Amino acid sequence: MDLVRLERAVIGYRVPLLPPLDLGVKAGSTLGVLGPNGAGKTALLKSLLGLLPLLGGRRLLPQGRAPRVGYVPQRDRLDQSWPLTVLDVVLMGRTPLLGPLHRPRTHDRKRAREALSEIGVGDLADRPLYALSGGQHQRVLIARAIAAEPELLVLDEPTSAMDPAAERVLLELVERLKRAHDLSVVLVTHQLTAVAGFATEVALVDRVRGVFEVGPVRQMLDPKKLERLYGREVRVAEVGGQTAIVIGSVAAGNGSGDSPTEVEEDR
Amino acid sequence: MSAFNDFWAGRELWQEPLFAGVLAAALLSYLGVFVVLKRMVFVSAALSEVSGVGVAFAFYVSAVAGVDPHTHHFGIPILLDPTWFSLLFACLAGVLFSLRPGHRKLAPETVVGIGYIAASALVLAILNSPRIAQEAHAVGDILFGNAVTVPFSQIEALLAVGAVGLLIHALFFKELLFVSYDSETAVVQGVGVLRYELVLNLVIAVIISVATRAVGALPVFAFTVVPAAAALMVTERLRTTIALSVAIGIVSAAVGYYVSWVESLPTGASMVIVASLFLVPGLLRLLRRGTV
Repeated sequence: MDLVRLERAVIGYRVPLLPPLDLGVKAGSTLGVLGPNGAGKTALLKSLLGLLPLLGGRRLLPQGRAPRVGYVPQRDRLDQSWPLTVLDVVLMGRTPLLGPLHRPRTHDRKRAREALSEIGVGDLADRPLYALSGGQHQRVLIARAIAAEPELLVLDEPTSAMDPAAERVLLELVERLKRAHDLSVVLVTHQLTAVAGFATEVALVDRVRGVFEVGPVRQMLDPKKLERLYGREVRVAEVGGQTAIVIGSVAAGNGSGDSPTEVEEDR
Repeated sequence: MSAFNDFWAGRELWQEPLFAGVLAAALLSYLGVFVVLKRMVFVSAALSEVSGVGVAFAFYVSAVAGVDPHTHHFGIPILLDPTWFSLLFACLAGVLFSLRPGHRKLAPETVVGIGYIAASALVLAILNSPRIAQEAHAVGDILFGNAVTVPFSQIEALLAVGAVGLLIHALFFKELLFVSYDSETAVVQGVGVLRYELVLNLVIAVIISVATRAVGALPVFAFTVVPAAAALMVTERLRTTIALSVAIGIVSAAVGYYVSWVESLPTGASMVIVASLFLVPGLLRLLRRGTV
């Protein structure tokens, strides 16, 4: 069953960004929303979550209610200079569960600490926010999302500015959390590796080229589809049981060719 | 010692204005932590100015209606009382500042700046209107307060709005903190961001409006910025920051009032100078760390 579904949805800020689209988040699935910078991924995400009114079509909640969402924003959008401890930030995730007029209690602090331990940063609970590294900050934001006891975990560009090893560790963590908490995951990213090994379904988005396609990961990581998305030649190959994606020269008809510029490899 | 004795001997004169200054400083220094962290320090100046428009507008309407403003409650219909106009205009500005412009180039601080500029122009235009030329000086006092003498009614008003404001913050502190720190996540998780931003800004607007009339625009602006900034530079926990900011505000108001009394200095300016001294430890700390 879908947790949330868009039908013939026209998304955009006053002006449609993409052609009318159908998109659902299935229970237990990992949906990767993939596209270049400025492709309209955030608008799509906001529409999916009901934060951006649709210009047309409709948003359905097959469960009869909105799913509980744990959200991990892009960490560079947050101000690390606030005089908050890690525990203060994770406790924010409990706010919707507590409701107005109720303060966090011992139980909430316990759950927040458990979330931190589960993410592998339990020892940071009392540390000030400004003292964290970028990777630690990212994990704290994931812990906050888990502390919200979500059904749907949404991550917005979680691996941007990460080296490949850190990216892999983070995605494995998300995969582990998904299994442990029986989550559905929406992963918004412009990085192919973040999708290749972890998503079960992929939505390709690019408002500039008018692209929106969604389907199973194997079907969507097709060189022709990716070429259309990136405007460059793309090669996809299986290497040692992993998916290797090479983005190279400008695709035929889009200008002169050159040597490969990006190699992305995943399992 | 004789200066203090003289000061103490005159306590009948300063008890009320000093209390008003300390109370305003405590409230504003608390709210200032939110204002500074949300990077909206100009909100305070704009709200002071906008509530001033309300006062000036009340006098203008009274003049047009042929009502003598000096007769106050005996002669002015309650709907023309400058206090109500001041609160109304400040609240409208508070609502305006809570709205998120749907234009990427129009940041919230731009909206606040526009509010400040428009309010300043309106105050100038109304005060220079021939209709209230004779009242301009009196209007100026009402507009920007006078920390030397504060009517007890204004202390009562400050106590009332302060109590309501603090109660609201006590009840909704976690929501106000969440939407102030990370409104994007708060809205995704179903916390009513617009609602709580509105509550936060309305509390700030009402307290600034009442405090401006009691102690003046300059100390109000200063108390919403300086104590919080001084506290933030030397603390790492939010509760410590709030406690220190409030303490700095209270001490600055009290010591500033005393200094203004014994040195015959303007009261508001004296309070601001004392508050500014509390920035020194934080600046020294930054220098020691080599981050300046």
